[in-house]
Amino acid sequence: MKIIITIFMLMTSFTAMAQDGKANTVKNTFNRKTTVSTSINADASIVWALLTNASDFSRWNSTIVSIEGEIQKGEKIKLKSTLDPGRTFKLKIKEVVPEQKLVWGDALGKRTYSLEKQGDSTLFTMAEKIGGLMFPLFAKKIPPFDESFEQFASDLKKEAETISKSK
Amino acid sequence: MRHEDFNEEFEKIGPQLKSYILRMTASIQDTEDIVQDTWIKGSSNFALFKGESSFKTWIFSIASNLTIDNLRKKKRWPENVTDICKEAAKRNPVHFQEAMKIIETSEDGKFEIREHIAFCFLCIAKSLPLEQHLCLLLKEIHDFKIKEIALILQTSGALVKYHLHAARQKMIEIFEGRCALINQEGICHQCTEINGIFNPKQNEQKELMKIKMVKEARKADKKRLLDLRMQVLREIDPFNSNAHELQLHHLEHNRRVMEKYLEENR
Repeated sequence: MKIIITIFMLMTSFTAMAQDGKANTVKNTFNRKTTVSTSINADASIVWALLTNASDFSRWNSTIVSIEGEIQKGEKIKLKSTLDPGRTFKLKIKEVVPEQKLVWGDALGKRTYSLEKQGDSTLFTMAEKIGGLMFPLFAKKIPPFDESFEQFASDLKKEAETISKSK
Repeated sequence: MRHEDFNEEFEKIGPQLKSYILRMTASIQDTEDIVQDTWIKGSSNFALFKGESSFKTWIFSIASNLTIDNLRKKKRWPENVTDICKEAAKRNPVHFQEAMKIIETSEDGKFEIREHIAFCFLCIAKSLPLEQHLCLLLKEIHDFKIKEIALILQTSGALVKYHLHAARQKMIEIFEGRCALINQEGICHQCTEINGIFNPKQNEQKELMKIKMVKEARKADKKRLLDLRMQVLREIDPFNSNAHELQLHHLEHNRRVMEKYLEENR
């Protein structure tokens, strides 16, 4: 019984930790995955609207310089990030499940946004996996994402909650 | 409400409805068509009106759907619409002659800065995404509540809040960057420039100080200045104002210029 309680406590503490807006990166030889998760006191539709209106992104998200294009399945977007402002990432929108899941990426990486309704709140999770056979050759050149991910999640939470409170 | 009261009730909200559609479409002809179609649709579907919302909400819902149909395939205007149209007007002496004739002959054609502020807002708001534009006018100009707008646009209250917030932020950003009336470094002062041409003897500063937004420009925050700007719109009926004939002439010019510009820049 004690073992079960201990496992349960470990699981709940892990869940709580995973939603605190702190990023976590797991590195392997051929890939790297960064994840951040935060609970947002707003309807999923607001969070979804913020994540899918390309031209509005840079207004609220301090990690994005610009996004050109339409965030719709099959479309291509051009993204400039503050992590590497001189570079334009050409990404394809790979999966769109309204108010639940959005995936975009290129040959090297895949970014997944997930939303989960939790009563009046929304659990937001963002993960990016980069890698491939050539990954060990350029791994050191890719900056860490953790800080940028935490900022992204924090900006999203702040903006969505501001909108939710508006009258 | 009885069916025989339909016309009377429709007429009561008619001016608001016309203003709303004109500020969405920027076209007098489209506005008249949509108002007429709204009347036909409302009248013929009156049996479906169960009084679950107000009559005004119901009619605006029909009109909004027709307006969305009209605008869905049309491109939005660029943020610098007034710059583009100003350059086009300078190259078009006929436009200027027509405007002068209206000023000289029409009782409803005297240029007023506050009417140009409303006109400018109308043009620039057409750069917002369609949903944001609709939500902004319905909430800030026509006093609908979030729930009513959700009903009119058949969406959720949460999404209305998003569109409204994004629209307000965008309009604040645009006017902060452009409008010399609220920002000394603003690049656009067309309203005072045109006033100088059409009202050369008027004391411009005195005229400007009658406008609350200008009066409070230095002390009020950006949100308040946007509210005051929209207050100007609420006070003006674009089909019955003191300068409506001149402003509608100006609007027709800008719409034609925009149609050509958007066609050439596909």
